[in-house]
Amino acid sequence: MAQRIQNSLLPSLSSSTSTTSSLSRFSNTCTSSSLLPLPQPASRSFSTSGCRQTRLRRTMFNWLEGKGAELKHHVPGELNYLTHTNKPFPLNEQYRSEPILSEALRNEIYDRVIRKKQSVRGVSVEFGVDMRRVGAVVRLVELENRMRDQGKSLALPYARAVHEMVPTTPYVEGDRIRHESINDLPVHRLTDPQIFYPVSESREFNRFDAGRAFSAAPALPHKITSEMKEQPDETIRKITQGLSPIETVGKREDEQQVLLPADARIPHPHMIVNDRNRLTIGKTEPKEVRQRYRERLAQESERDQYRKDRIQQHLERTTQKVEPENSRFEFRFRDVVVSRETTGPTGRGHLAPGRRYGIPSYDRKKGEVKIPTRVDV
Amino acid sequence: MVVRIRLARFGNKHQPFYNIVVAQARSARDSKPIEVIGTFNPIPQRPTGLSDEQAITARSYKDIALDRSRAKYWLGVGAQPSDGVWRLLHMAGLIEAKKVPNKMK
Repeated sequence: MAQRIQNSLLPSLSSSTSTTSSLSRFSNTCTSSSLLPLPQPASRSFSTSGCRQTRLRRTMFNWLEGKGAELKHHVPGELNYLTHTNKPFPLNEQYRSEPILSEALRNEIYDRVIRKKQSVRGVSVEFGVDMRRVGAVVRLVELENRMRDQGKSLALPYARAVHEMVPTTPYVEGDRIRHESINDLPVHRLTDPQIFYPVSESREFNRFDAGRAFSAAPALPHKITSEMKEQPDETIRKITQGLSPIETVGKREDEQQVLLPADARIPHPHMIVNDRNRLTIGKTEPKEVRQRYRERLAQESERDQYRKDRIQQHLERTTQKVEPENSRFEFRFRDVVVSRETTGPTGRGHLAPGRRYGIPSYDRKKGEVKIPTRVDV
Repeated sequence: MVVRIRLARFGNKHQPFYNIVVAQARSARDSKPIEVIGTFNPIPQRPTGLSDEQAITARSYKDIALDRSRAKYWLGVGAQPSDGVWRLLHMAGLIEAKKVPNKMK
């Protein structure tokens, strides 16, 4: 994917315009140094002889003038790395320079989501771009458009130079684009410990059971597990679309949700269904597979919208907005509940409103991370 | 002794945040109250999720959390709101506006 896209939008930055080579000048002055007063080490303060180069220093300048000289100016469209592959550090074999989105791909993502009103999930799968990245692209392009409208200057030469020097994922219409891995399972803290969990040989132990074992929930009855096994797609669909409530274990403060199977926790559970369909009926009825995929995506986005609407309606129902005439501000009164259930027996429950009494706030403690974890636009 | 509904300041320097509390009138501002019935954030918040046109005309809002039934109960048993809380409770529609004596006379 390490390929550059020629983009007419960005002004060209020719490498020949780069100015003086300060390093080579420096090396020249140092080799013909007898003319110049050079800083001397304190132990040889009366010495009049010039500086002697160390071996390492000499080899460094040899390299800079020989092999290194060709790296001084980047060739547009080629990686300016020592190895000429996407591994910039020869001694660190594991490090790979990941491609960034090209201008064309970035614009296409924005176009699909905003103008063609396609779902973020669908666009993410189609271009192999993480859903969070798709969201970020849409926000940033929106911001860029606004800056253009306001007549603000953009750092286009800088953008072009960066795009010339790092690998990018090009957008070629009709090609299958894979920018990054999009269906990685996030590591859940409950899965950190190693658990030795004895299971009888006669019992099947699947991902549902693994999740339950990690959260110390009792195993499900055979009847339910066999039903789940018969309809795996339907079971996962019910979980991801919020149709079956998530079970909880523990009491009061220790109450926590039972860990879901990995199939439900990945970003795109519907891709598993699609693969399963492809393997079973894909050879004979490829149209049917595509049809089902589209239906599933539509269903997902419809369900997402429904859930968002529900939350919005709940907020509106429980919030009273007052706009006094003599005030610049609006006052929003949210309903909260102060009761034995919310405050708890100690009066310090977290469901009740208000800052707590008698509990230190660690917000200024050393090492406390205050980086915001979400964006409200 | 009078029971008051008043504000107790939390938050840091230049970041005020208030609990709306029910407390004995003579107790210290930040002492433990009888009950916390809500919160008041006096720092105006910008509304989010708006279109460009809406964002121009939208008013900033001040966020208040309030348990109405507890507020009504405490008012019913004779708790006296402080001036600031009186204005908030009036806006929430729980009590009449406070009659301020005209200082001009």
